Amino acid sequence: MSDSVARPRSDEEWETLMHQLHNRPKARPQPFFYTRLHARLTADAAAKSPLFPAWLRRPAYVALLGALVITLSGDGSALRPAAEINHCATCPISR
Amino acid sequence: MAYSLPLLLTHDPPSGARLINSAAEAGLVAQLQQGSEAAFRTLVERYQDQIYRTVFSLLRSPEEAEDVAQEVFVEVYQTIGRFRGDAALSTWLYRLATSRALKNRQKARAKKRFAYFTSLLGFDNDVLHEVPDHAHPLALLEGQQQLRLLFDHIARLPDQQQVAFTLRHEQELSYEEIAAVLTTTVPAVESLLFRARQTLRKHLKSHACHV
Repeated sequence: MSDSVARPRSDEEWETLMHQLHNRPKARPQPFFYTRLHARLTADAAAKSPLFPAWLRRPAYVALLGALVITLSGDGSALRPAAEINHCATCPISR
Repeated sequence: MAYSLPLLLTHDPPSGARLINSAAEAGLVAQLQQGSEAAFRTLVERYQDQIYRTVFSLLRSPEEAEDVAQEVFVEVYQTIGRFRGDAALSTWLYRLATSRALKNRQKARAKKRFAYFTSLLGFDNDVLHEVPDHAHPLALLEGQQQLRLLFDHIARLPDQQQVAFTLRHEQELSYEEIAAVLTTTVPAVESLLFRARQTLRKHLKSHACHV
């Protein structure tokens, strides 16, 4: 590189560089910034307020919840031991 | 809520900085806190250029600047209820913008370091490519190597110095406004700027000597 002209070696060159910095074209966002921002906010809001809470939308939790409901539903026969289930109240007692 | 905001000097078009009186800003904040979409749009349109420019100055990437600028306004939308008017609205926005930009950059650097280490360990990694060098558009367009070199060295300054330098020389904020953004004193800002300029001048000079 041999562009020593462009390198600041004095106060004057530093000032020139600062001048260039101030006078350069300013960066601007792409047009329709608000539209994109609004879309992002809407998407965020939709993601945050679903019908069910986030944990309930995971398959593992849904399966666990389903199993729990089935287990606890009815008269709880699924939890009773087989011998007890086979017991018949009206049958004569076998001794 | 007490709206005891001082007169604000805003910097939207740098050519014509204008005074917005505190009552108008307090009114805008009140409308925002009531959930007014029109007020939010007004706020975004008023500050989007300044916020984008600030973030862009710290990240030098149009895509990242857009993303972070959006994040800033999303945060404003979500937390405006907690804004008490202790600082000017523009100060709060600059604080959000600078802190989010620095956080974003730290994440990017950590990602790059992680990619580097995993590459040393021989793991397959998709992120081994160099992050593209997003030079400032003007530096690219006009081939102004000196400006480009300056931007490179600004990016290597310590965070506080970089923010102070950027807010002063690219956003043209006053020392008082920079002190408010950085929650520090004016002499501390002067010191940050002095050190930043010294470092930049030293590096630019040494670069000139080495080539």
